[in-house]
Amino acid sequence: MLDTRVAQSTIDHAIALGADFAEVFVERNQVNNIATLSNQVQDIASGIDFGVGVRLVYGAKVLYGYTNRTDAEELRRIVAELAAKDRRDPAVSAQAFDFRTASDAHGAQRTLTQDSEVRDKVGYLFAADRAARAASNLISQTQGACGQREQAVEIFNSDGLHIRDTRHYIRARLQAVASNGSDQATGMQTDGGLLGWEIVETLDPKACGAEAARQALVNLSAKPCPSGRMPVVIGNGFGGVIFHEACGHLLETTSVAKKASVFHDKLGEMIANPVVNAVDDGTLVREWGSINIDDEGMPTERTQLIKDGKLVSFLADRVGAEQTGLPRTGSGRRQSYRFAPASRMRNTFIEPGTASFDDMIASIDRGVYASHMGGGSVQPGTGEFNFAVTEGYYVEDGKIRYPVKAATLISTGPDVLKQISMVGSDFALATGMCGSVSGMVPTTVGQATLKVDDILVGGNA
Amino acid sequence: MVATVETNAQRILDKVLSAGALGDLVIQEESSLSLKAHDGELEEHKVTSTRVYGVRVVKDDRAGIAYSESADPGALDSMVEQALVNATFSRVDPAESVATGDTTLVTHDAILCPDDPTTVEAKIDAALYLERELTARDKVRNVPYNGVQDATVERHVFATTGRTAHSRNRVCSAFAYALLSDGDKDALEGVQSHTRRFDDIDTAWIVDETYRRCVAMLDGEALPSRHYDILFDIEHQADLFAVFHDMFSAKTARDGINPLRDKVGERIAVDALTIRDAPLNADGLGYALFDDEGLPATTTTLVDDGTLRTLVHNSATATHFDVPNTRNANRSPRASLGVGLHQLEVAPGDANENALASGEYLEIVDLAGLHSGGNPVSGDFSFGAAGFLCRDGERIRPVRNITVAGNFYEMLNRIAAIGDTQHWNPERSALMARIRFADVAISG
Repeated sequence: MLDTRVAQSTIDHAIALGADFAEVFVERNQVNNIATLSNQVQDIASGIDFGVGVRLVYGAKVLYGYTNRTDAEELRRIVAELAAKDRRDPAVSAQAFDFRTASDAHGAQRTLTQDSEVRDKVGYLFAADRAARAASNLISQTQGACGQREQAVEIFNSDGLHIRDTRHYIRARLQAVASNGSDQATGMQTDGGLLGWEIVETLDPKACGAEAARQALVNLSAKPCPSGRMPVVIGNGFGGVIFHEACGHLLETTSVAKKASVFHDKLGEMIANPVVNAVDDGTLVREWGSINIDDEGMPTERTQLIKDGKLVSFLADRVGAEQTGLPRTGSGRRQSYRFAPASRMRNTFIEPGTASFDDMIASIDRGVYASHMGGGSVQPGTGEFNFAVTEGYYVEDGKIRYPVKAATLISTGPDVLKQISMVGSDFALATGMCGSVSGMVPTTVGQATLKVDDILVGGNA
Repeated sequence: MVATVETNAQRILDKVLSAGALGDLVIQEESSLSLKAHDGELEEHKVTSTRVYGVRVVKDDRAGIAYSESADPGALDSMVEQALVNATFSRVDPAESVATGDTTLVTHDAILCPDDPTTVEAKIDAALYLERELTARDKVRNVPYNGVQDATVERHVFATTGRTAHSRNRVCSAFAYALLSDGDKDALEGVQSHTRRFDDIDTAWIVDETYRRCVAMLDGEALPSRHYDILFDIEHQADLFAVFHDMFSAKTARDGINPLRDKVGERIAVDALTIRDAPLNADGLGYALFDDEGLPATTTTLVDDGTLRTLVHNSATATHFDVPNTRNANRSPRASLGVGLHQLEVAPGDANENALASGEYLEIVDLAGLHSGGNPVSGDFSFGAAGFLCRDGERIRPVRNITVAGNFYEMLNRIAAIGDTQHWNPERSALMARIRFADVAISG
């Protein structure tokens, strides 16, 4: 995508101005997004993002710039502007490029550049809409979305790296709205992965529509949620957002290197209940958060974060590794050429255990079963996090009693990890988008159903 | 001949017209400098420059959009062709059109994009100052989030009808969030400041205010779960309203997911509440001379003494509902035609500060989970929160690790008082009188 001579000239210029490390990140991102409203196509948007990001590292300092242009003059101008305050005699020599193409573990077939397959995708969303409406006449509306993108990246750096990769993302979603005349409620079903439109061969639009409708109808009948500290059983799949927020962000060297994570000095210590084993794995075939190489050109890997409750690793990008002395983990990620890379999660999950769902519910006198979770956020410095319950039930005397709405769970990472007392075996993964210093990146969360003995539930009862 | 934004626009719109379609084009150019400090050194220095073209075509009552970050002729031609293809799949919608008229609107740089003499070196010094001065304060462990930014956004709208509009907006900002630790207690708090000119940023105030907030919150603890009267600070009151902005959207009403869609002309809030969209208040950074169809923006009263007067419209929703266009079209180059508020204003009420802060109440100064804890379709929300338990205007004790929950649309009918003074939020995008909400569920 970028003339090698232009990349070499840019990096040579940066090294000549005294940079310890220089990198050129080129991205071409083709996008096709379809939105439906019930049984009509509302929007189809398509386009191409293209740009070049230039990163210079002087010691611990990161200088970053980007442009839509690809000429050597513009890239050298950016380098000169970035280095204006730091230029010095050359400290290192730039290596000659050694070109490689990233090994592809995912094998997308029905890719966007071959065909956007609009008719087929619209047909899928319409079928999901019909299924949702068939569930009840209280389903008043559906909103469907199918987004496909093909992100081609090319990375050059002063260590001689020159590598290309192409990532194929697909995601389909249906939101159902239930209405009884006075109140409205929503339900959502999302599927996605690191592959092409062949994902449709594994999807059932009827199941998608029925699930979105089921959630909306449950929420329409939900009562205000009781509040206070209580045990909570968190459902599998997207329930794994609890680990993502409570712990995952606190293990990124982005926070650790600044000692802005409550776990920055806990490596090798017990930070969780011994039933907790947690992993961040970029290698899972065709999973939404997987990558072949990270956005610094390093092959990705599987990283065990917590083993039997003990913290055994952090997630490190190049700069984070240099600042902490930890090994890189193939976790340097960024939303686009507009961001410098940072250590980020990929597919992050708590490994399954052996507890049964029935035993978890039976062990609760007064609590909540949060079967579906929404998003959340965390302050790494204090570990305080929150996340939303999108489908929940009040539990009393060991039995699920009635659905509840408008609930949030809040706690701190160190507290909640110690409060996980039971982990089930019904492991599942779910797709999400994670926002942080290097933008929004696709991430997968996952877990089996698990029980937290004590957490604050914010409700409206 | 060197291609300019104008010649490229002409090329694109000529191609649209030659295909028998109408269309409009949004071009957005951005340039920025952002700086962050860590351990006394500049940690990040970022300079950026981008341009994106986004075209919307309307042919045979069907709309299609496409965008490109490449400005070479082939890419722009391909963009138009793709938008025309996309339109063939869209629903037939006689309301979707290109706004008529051939006016030209241009903003004044003296107001929206003023020059100031601040050098890059001075901006670097400002970033280093924020981190250095806060780090030097007692018990500050570090300043994990800090920085300064100077960004200029140019937006062009061109339409096949001949309408053109051009704005250039400059926003300078600075922020710092410090982590304070004392034994096993810690607090992460901070502030931000946004201005038109960099030399208007008061970095000393940011340092002092950030430190003051950290110290004030350090001893915060939960409080018993029950219902309290609530006063949000202006930043988070504006954030709360922003979560539910779609309540005013004619597009979500048209899509059948706005609970207020049949409430125009009805009372939706207490009599004391008046809400406007005020795009022409140039004191705010949300100032807009025109909307994203290039039509001149205008002040719109949305809620008048508790009664919903109108939703906000673009040309398509106004045609659909057969009502006047409020000129609230909203469209990024990458997106289809929507609607949005320009600059929200909550009109002053009659409660002075003493009346607003009488008796016991909870002052909320931090909300967490705004992106996930609120549902605009149902109005239900539950957020993490922090603040102060107060009595008669005095802070009794800091409060942390609590949640605030309720239904926003119901809360508009449980307003106990509205202050008699308006305040800008830190982003200067909303001008609001403070609202005291009665009987809100707090969990601790």
